[in-house]
Amino acid sequence: MAHILDDYAVLSPLRYKNNWLKISIVTFGLLAGVSSNSPLVPFLVAICMSFATLYFAKIPISFYFKLLAAPASFVIVSVVIIAFFFGEGAKLFSFDILGYTLGVSKAGLNMALLVLARTLGGMSCLFFLSLTTPMIELFSVLKATKLPDSFLEIAMMMYRYIFVFLDVAMGVKYAQSVRLGYKDFRTSFKSMVMLGTNLFIRSWEQGEKIFVSMNSRCYDGKLTILDDKRPVKFSELILTLVYFALVILTFYFTRGASVI
Amino acid sequence: MIILETKNLSFSYPDGTLALDNINISIEKGKKIAFVGRNGSGKSTLFLSMNGTHRPKKGEILFHGESMKYDSKSLRDVRKNIGIVFQNSDDQIFAPTIYQDVAFGPTNLGYPKDKVESIVNNTLEYVGLTHLKDKPPHHLSGGQKKRVAIAGIVAMDPELIILDEPLANLDPVGADEVMDLLNELNYFGKTIIISTHDVDLAYGWADYVFLMNEHKVISEGTPESIFMDEENLKTAYLRRPVTLEIYEEIKRRGLVKPQCCPRDIPDLVHSLRSQQLLWAKVPSEVKEGDYINLGILYGDYAPDSGYEAANCKVLHVHEDNLAIVEMERRPYRAGFIGIYDTSRYSKNELCDIILRDEIECVGAMGKRSKILAERDEIYLHVTAGVVDRSILNSLAGQRCLILTNGGMVCHAMKRIKGYMEKSGINIPVTVVNPEQKKPEAESTNN
Repeated sequence: MAHILDDYAVLSPLRYKNNWLKISIVTFGLLAGVSSNSPLVPFLVAICMSFATLYFAKIPISFYFKLLAAPASFVIVSVVIIAFFFGEGAKLFSFDILGYTLGVSKAGLNMALLVLARTLGGMSCLFFLSLTTPMIELFSVLKATKLPDSFLEIAMMMYRYIFVFLDVAMGVKYAQSVRLGYKDFRTSFKSMVMLGTNLFIRSWEQGEKIFVSMNSRCYDGKLTILDDKRPVKFSELILTLVYFALVILTFYFTRGASVI
Repeated sequence: MIILETKNLSFSYPDGTLALDNINISIEKGKKIAFVGRNGSGKSTLFLSMNGTHRPKKGEILFHGESMKYDSKSLRDVRKNIGIVFQNSDDQIFAPTIYQDVAFGPTNLGYPKDKVESIVNNTLEYVGLTHLKDKPPHHLSGGQKKRVAIAGIVAMDPELIILDEPLANLDPVGADEVMDLLNELNYFGKTIIISTHDVDLAYGWADYVFLMNEHKVISEGTPESIFMDEENLKTAYLRRPVTLEIYEEIKRRGLVKPQCCPRDIPDLVHSLRSQQLLWAKVPSEVKEGDYINLGILYGDYAPDSGYEAANCKVLHVHEDNLAIVEMERRPYRAGFIGIYDTSRYSKNELCDIILRDEIECVGAMGKRSKILAERDEIYLHVTAGVVDRSILNSLAGQRCLILTNGGMVCHAMKRIKGYMEKSGINIPVTVVNPEQKKPEAESTNN
């Protein structure tokens, strides 16, 4: 099975760090990125978060850039469009196509850079969280938010069985493809439908089986939710504060400034 | 002491299919019990009835001599003491981490938090999974998952642990680990019940065996009594364990002590009779250290006479003129294997060879040789596992012929030579119709 984000998170060295610290770092980064008018702040956030993900969380660099490539390709397309079609006033440069003048104005370019920076900053924040904090850890955070217990329990079981059914689905898909179930569009469509039906029935049966097996262990509506005490280390706190201060200072000094 | 008993237990599913038919069993404390039956014989349903999941249509279940009640408080008590490990670990392990799954049972029993924690940590250490406690279950191997499932049950400290097909889908090493764990649990006083259709496992492991077929218990008893009874096994659509199969086969050759019931390979080896030593009736003047000449009934070297003379050394003289004597030679000799290459086949030649070499056992290897034999009505004694069978037969003194062709001639030759090297027993083996001087004339026949 291909590695998914959660697998990296489970094995990450930052997994056992305080969840609240990680969440506040990420929230801070997102807020700073969104509220800044200068692309410098989100760029700084992106660089810091990427560095933390690659250096502290030891995520393979090629995998990380592959992850970033997906949103980045979207962003680059939109940035080009924004640069050309936004903003009035003097063009920095322009050219004619079929009698229509296309050009990039100063405001448009600024806007494009800001969008690019914000997206990269936001994505790197979220990747940092999802590559260092597996779902398992987030359950205890969710618990602290006073969500109803039954909601959480269902979420926990869903999390567990996503992987079971992912395995089943891959098995079925493989079994179908070795018997040419995906040879053309029509058959692929049919096969997909069968796969879906099969999975639905299986999950129904699985539900009944879990019910029996939970009852056999005296289920009475209580699941343990981990809430390990993980004190924030002094060094971690200092590092976080330095990062916060750096971002705030940049924010302050680039208030009115624009890049170009 | 009897923990669990069923009386006239019958159960049918809501759609009317009968699942259990008049089951009367009693489970003794501290035993290792195996329910053996083919798929669909009702083992799993019986287990789910034992912990109160299925409510019997007729009859009752006695737990510690008291009839099982189905109110939630009594069920809780029963389920605390009768734990079930399901066949598919994924049905049972539903929590996102190993720790949480093992903690599930103790939490439900209402233990305080620190007690749950110490129970879980101890149990995980006991099954050797402490290092994985924060892992999600999908990062584990099949054997590890099975051990987590067992840990989840053991954490509730039940008296009786029921495992449905505990070794299904496990590799040999994983299976060994699980069985070791079960033996250890049993050693510390837990009663263990497993269901299986693996006769070798049940025969080697269990103290007591229930044989199930068609929703009934058709017989019960010690593994020896159950698995020696060929008829019983046939009705249950099962076969004899391999150890017993081997034992019977070598018993027929007079190589083992009779009335043994080897449960495993060391047992089997132990049951082998020493070939060199035997009891003999001797004249009264014979002293220890003398050589005597014994007549051996149906010996190896004089096939035409009933008796054969063999020199024996007297090791010990017993009272009543009985003595222990040692035969001076190996008591059996290898037979003979001939390989007939059917790419140079002619019916007359083959029949001549069979007559000339007094062949007792003919086997055919490969489709082509089988078709030839069928066409010319040559009786084949063996058609499957021909080389192995021929080795075994020739060891028992038979003269065997293997019909085969092409590359398989070499293969058979190599296989037999390999056996000879390993065992140190020499079996004369030749190609009985070696290639002629004029192969080009022969090859036109092919």
